[in-house]
Amino acid sequence: MTKLLEVQGVTKKFGGLVALNDLSFYVEEGEVLGLMGPNGSGKTTIFNTIMGDFPPDSGRILFKGEDITKLPTYHRVRMGIARTYQVPRPLKEVTIFDDVRVSTVSPSIIRCLTGKVTAHDAVIKKILEDVGLSGRFSMYPHELTMGDLRRVELAKALATNPRIVLLDEIFAGLTVAEIEEIDKLLRRKREQEGLDFVVVSHDLKALAPLVDRVVVIDFGQFIAEGPFDQIVNDEKVKEAYFG
Amino acid sequence: MIRRLRWWLIAIAVMCVLPLFVPMSITRLLVMAAYLAIFAMSWDMMSGYTGYVSFGHPFLIGVAAYVSAFLSHQEGFQPPHIVLPLYITIPLGVAAAVGGGMLFFLPSMRVRGPYFSLVSLAFMEILHRLIIAIRPEYTGGDRGLPALPAVVTGAVPNYYLALGLMFAVAIGLWFVTRSDVGYVLKTIRMDEDVVEASGISTYKFKRFAFILSAATAGLGGVFYTHYLQSLGPRWAFSATFLLDIIIAAVIGGMGTITGPIFGGYFLTFILEYLRPYLFGQWRLFAYALAAIFIVIYRPKGFYGIAQDVRGWFQRRRIRGEV
Repeated sequence: MTKLLEVQGVTKKFGGLVALNDLSFYVEEGEVLGLMGPNGSGKTTIFNTIMGDFPPDSGRILFKGEDITKLPTYHRVRMGIARTYQVPRPLKEVTIFDDVRVSTVSPSIIRCLTGKVTAHDAVIKKILEDVGLSGRFSMYPHELTMGDLRRVELAKALATNPRIVLLDEIFAGLTVAEIEEIDKLLRRKREQEGLDFVVVSHDLKALAPLVDRVVVIDFGQFIAEGPFDQIVNDEKVKEAYFG
Repeated sequence: MIRRLRWWLIAIAVMCVLPLFVPMSITRLLVMAAYLAIFAMSWDMMSGYTGYVSFGHPFLIGVAAYVSAFLSHQEGFQPPHIVLPLYITIPLGVAAAVGGGMLFFLPSMRVRGPYFSLVSLAFMEILHRLIIAIRPEYTGGDRGLPALPAVVTGAVPNYYLALGLMFAVAIGLWFVTRSDVGYVLKTIRMDEDVVEASGISTYKFKRFAFILSAATAGLGGVFYTHYLQSLGPRWAFSATFLLDIIIAAVIGGMGTITGPIFGGYFLTFILEYLRPYLFGQWRLFAYALAAIFIVIYRPKGFYGIAQDVRGWFQRRRIRGEV
């Protein structure tokens, strides 16, 4: 198995706060990795660092063996990394259909000027139906439930045609039925299109059936890794969660 | 297509025959309005779409106007001074606006936040001081440059020139903003990080919008100064001129291109007729009031109001048919 995404000794400090402390882990090709850790342990920070929202103080990020630490965010997305936000960030003034359209727009200005605005409508429609939003294309974000907003986030990530998707608390605030649907969708995407996922979730019940392997971090540091069942019984993990 | 554009075609037709029916003073006012509309569209292309508010459009307009005026000016310089024809100085002026803008404004656009606005405001003031203080024998200093050559003479030919320019700019910017480029720029205003995370280099699109905006501002500035046949730092770099541009775009409707045209005409005429009652600081006060009112109640300006009215008529028609 080759490593698709690799985080090598990443340290990130915000003033005096060490958010990530020499953190290393990797995602293998064809794998779904769960990322666990108590509140404030650095899960979202490592996602932000992988996406290039800010540079790490030290360490490297590798994707398909290539060092992407210094690349801008849009470049990483085009290489095949996508993410969803913990708090959904829909574009407030447009319908969810148009929101997803941003992910399909050509990065070239010339092609944007000459191409048809409706060129990718079929693709957008298919993705929105895929995530379970049929019949809601022309709705605005303020009309949607949290569950649907998370689906929009997922649709936007999938529309960038990714190789790996970083899912930040994709199950938070969802009903059991909604969790099941999203879980099914992720499995299907994995089987049919070979997508990899890194899933951050507080909901261990939702995480358990989905992930192949779990990495646990606390205070920005690597604590443990292994299959889910083994991890939940790990002494160090218990200590991190329960003190 | 014709059906959709019928109101525009009617408006263009009316505008074309208008100078035959109105007195000369109104024609002159219409010329001013057309130039203000060009400046407002230029501002809208950058600030109305991306949300990066420019306080530096007078800088872009001024650079273009000064370059063309300086190179085509015939009197008052020590030799050796080359006098170039307008068909050379006008493109040079526009190029100077784009070049100067890219040199001084673009770096601040890489950073999110109000830095672009602050930098653009600072450079407008810096250029103002420089023009007054450095080499006044060349720039005309505080008095400016008088007796510039004109592109065409007379109110009516100038009216058609200004109108033609305005429509050319409007059509050009309209096509850009109705393409995916306009869409990306609008989404940048809503949430730039999210657009970046969609795989789009937001800086590239912002830069494109800025270049278009600067070129339009430069084009308007050059033709405007040759229409006035004089150029003074006092009008070119004043806060009032800046506010005229921004308010015209805001009351017309930001992020619409067509709105600012209407804003330009409306503002020019309302100011003219209110002149006896509103002078000096009161004008700025009225601006502030109008801007606050519009931003709170009608963020899409006249464009939004027009859309509401159209929607109302359409609904009524549908109800009538049922």
